Amino acid sequence: MEIWINYLDQVLIFVVFAVSLNLLLGYAGQVSVAHAAFGAIGGYAMGYLVIEHGWNYIPAVLLGALAAMIVGTVVALPALRLSVEFLILLTLAVSLVTIGIFTTFPVLGGTYGLIGIPQAQIFGYELAEPRDWILPLLIAAVIIYLLCRRMGESAYGRVLKGLREDPDATRSLGKNVFAYKVSVFAVTSAMAGLAGGLYSGYLQLATPGVYSFDTSLKIFAIVIFGGIANLMGSVLGAFVVVLTEPILERQPFIDLDARDASLIQLVIYGLLLVVLMMLRPQGLLPEGFSIWRWLKGERRAGTRVEMEAEGWVPDIDPASLVVTPGGSEEAREREWHEAPVVLEVRGLSKRFGGIVAAQELDMDLHRGTITALVGPNGAGKTTVFNLLTGFIRPDAGSVRLNGTELVGKSPEQVARLGLVRSFQDVRIVPRLSCLQNVMLGVQDQTGEHMGKLFYAPRKSDADERRTRERAMEWLQFVGMAEFADVPGAALSFGQSKLVALARVLATEADVLLLDEPASGIDTKWVDTMLDLVEAVKHQGRTVCIVEHNLHVVGRLADHTYFMELGMITAQGTIAELTSSERLAEAYFGTSTRA
Amino acid sequence: MIFGALDIETVSQLTANGIINGAAYGLLGVGFALILGVTGRFHFAYSITYTLAAYFMFTLWDRVGLPIWPAVLLGILAATVLGVSMEQYVYRPLAVRAGATALLAIFVASLGLTIAGSNLVQLFWGSENQILEGPQQEVINWGDVAFINFDLWSVISAVVLVLILAALMRYTDLGRQIKATRVNPELAEIIGISSHRIYLIVFAIGTFLAGSAAFWYSLKFSIDPAMGLRPVIFAFVVAFLAGTASSPIRVFLTGVAVALLEQYTSIWLSVRWTQTAVFVVLLVYLVVLAFEPRRVILSMFPQLAREKV
Repeated sequence: MEIWINYLDQVLIFVVFAVSLNLLLGYAGQVSVAHAAFGAIGGYAMGYLVIEHGWNYIPAVLLGALAAMIVGTVVALPALRLSVEFLILLTLAVSLVTIGIFTTFPVLGGTYGLIGIPQAQIFGYELAEPRDWILPLLIAAVIIYLLCRRMGESAYGRVLKGLREDPDATRSLGKNVFAYKVSVFAVTSAMAGLAGGLYSGYLQLATPGVYSFDTSLKIFAIVIFGGIANLMGSVLGAFVVVLTEPILERQPFIDLDARDASLIQLVIYGLLLVVLMMLRPQGLLPEGFSIWRWLKGERRAGTRVEMEAEGWVPDIDPASLVVTPGGSEEAREREWHEAPVVLEVRGLSKRFGGIVAAQELDMDLHRGTITALVGPNGAGKTTVFNLLTGFIRPDAGSVRLNGTELVGKSPEQVARLGLVRSFQDVRIVPRLSCLQNVMLGVQDQTGEHMGKLFYAPRKSDADERRTRERAMEWLQFVGMAEFADVPGAALSFGQSKLVALARVLATEADVLLLDEPASGIDTKWVDTMLDLVEAVKHQGRTVCIVEHNLHVVGRLADHTYFMELGMITAQGTIAELTSSERLAEAYFGTSTRA
Repeated sequence: MIFGALDIETVSQLTANGIINGAAYGLLGVGFALILGVTGRFHFAYSITYTLAAYFMFTLWDRVGLPIWPAVLLGILAATVLGVSMEQYVYRPLAVRAGATALLAIFVASLGLTIAGSNLVQLFWGSENQILEGPQQEVINWGDVAFINFDLWSVISAVVLVLILAALMRYTDLGRQIKATRVNPELAEIIGISSHRIYLIVFAIGTFLAGSAAFWYSLKFSIDPAMGLRPVIFAFVVAFLAGTASSPIRVFLTGVAVALLEQYTSIWLSVRWTQTAVFVVLLVYLVVLAFEPRRVILSMFPQLAREKV
């Protein structure tokens, strides 16, 4: 019996390791194989403080967690900008360097490590036997589980998932990706440090072997095995992985000695990882799966795959599309000139080596109007959107939004100031539901701040409900309410354009840059899409579209800029532009006279 | 003087050691960089193909009783078949299935193969060291520098293999096809280059190089289940430092440079610090990479630039 209590203690320690790694790896998508190294920092720090300085156990563990957090933050800084291959390599290096450094200090026991850490005492109780450890470890595991769950299943966790799958799209919605990555690295490293402090206290050892690279792989395997972004999966995974060894040793069928049992255990979990990736890459419990809901017989609607049915059209409330009819093209052009300027672009230039992407661009967007940017392929229209929204830094020029200079600001700052763009290739976050995608667009959510989730819990929760309602309203507006729970990946291209529009609208930004809003959607409801854009204009928002289809431009645009080879060469109504023979030739590539 | 009060003998001996170790790091780095650069697979199980190559030759020589050279060649070929099978039966199906998240799925599967493989080795062959005996070992003295004949041969064979590969990449049709696939597999498919076939060839070449490095290591030291981890991690470092789209010669020279760095740090620091020093250099490099990102990354991974378009 005693031996099983021993294993239960280990399971609980690995729960702490795995659940925190899952927040980093599963939710935020940061592939780290250094989790045991952060554990080592916590374990060694605790051991050193207790042995050399006679500290009490609890403060020593907490200081160890703090040390791990500091190192984690430092590691996060370069990790922020690396692609996955480099991040794996970086964390691999961190893992080896950390242990390498510890073994070089005689005071930390060199290659033997710290042995003979005194028995831990908590509030005067000696933790002498494995059974004494169950309660404190259980409390720690539950607390860490609840903390991670709170962070993962909140507005904060939603942003993490956004940056996991599409950091640029997440930035374009005003989220400071940098701060999220640093904070999630810091907090999960602290948790790993805590787990290390517990592990070393329990083993009364902190050695290179305990925190070797193999331990990192074991934690990594638990997370993958249990299920990415499913914390209950990690708990289950910890049980399975930690308990295979004793079960193999004690099974009655084949006589295995302890050494073979532990080798076979490792072979099994190595092969399981391979088979798992091939058959069930999402892990035992997939993202979003809840045992409780499953036991109650509820199936998640979000897991079914939706295809755009033949003849499907968005289910839009006609009342929301009622707009005052626009006048003639000339009248609209006159209105455009009379409306106040919201966005003023002057002398905007950008070169890539010898290629001029934008040269001395001047353009204005006027309040409550639609401006179109047209031109042949490769003219630099999408580059203009990238320049305006801070994704590419211009070489020269200025962009002023209601008088505020935007050049030099990051994409997320630009978005928060009220200039938001959509993408030509849509960039819906594939594994978030439509509703979650739109919720990502809502600004200033209390629950997006890790701290406020805990010290302002009610406000965060109330805000989350409000965000959900508002996002739902925007989904209804674009006629996609019935797909609220469907993951983004299951949508047709046209449907994802609608969700992308709802997401942009949910930012409440003043100025919207829409990149080809009507391309690639079913011809049956192109006009519906155009009605939507017009309705947006009548909400008083300022819209700029990039569009190839001159029918679309003629219908929507109050004023049109013509762009070729990085320069704006003409402007006016679309009728004026198309009547110019030279422009028609530039656009269609042939002379209309021929 | 950076070498301070050190005598010339010590420095030349360290230099020789660096070149000898560097030839092995370089050879492994070339193989890993080729695989990662062309296929995009983070082939962590490279270490297990290295280890198994050694065990295969040992088994053929000691248990089956083949003469040493056929055993070595067959052992390397058996490991090569294994490496190619990993691509064919594990990575490729995964890549087809997982799509956008393939990199993580393949990395995890590769870790799984490594964990399973290194423990299977212990189950089959035990965890004790095995000795591979081949030609007579002789000490060679060149002036103040001493090394053994295996060292000399291993450096020569590594240089020859790398030069052959470089010539293959540069002057043959196959080399051009490999480079085309590295730059843009879809486009290469359009002009009739099967990326499937190229990936298999690349895995074969990479594993063959690992197998030959494993042979010299086994001859000089011994064969043990964990022999693959350290050299292969150095190979990762070398491949990333050199850039996975670089020419084999440049990757190889980076390997030599890393090994020299490792040797020279032992002048100022205790031997325990040398490995750490190499990783610190890697960390510094990654930090620089992180803050000067696009230009460096794009020059190393041209396929990323393609995806952004």
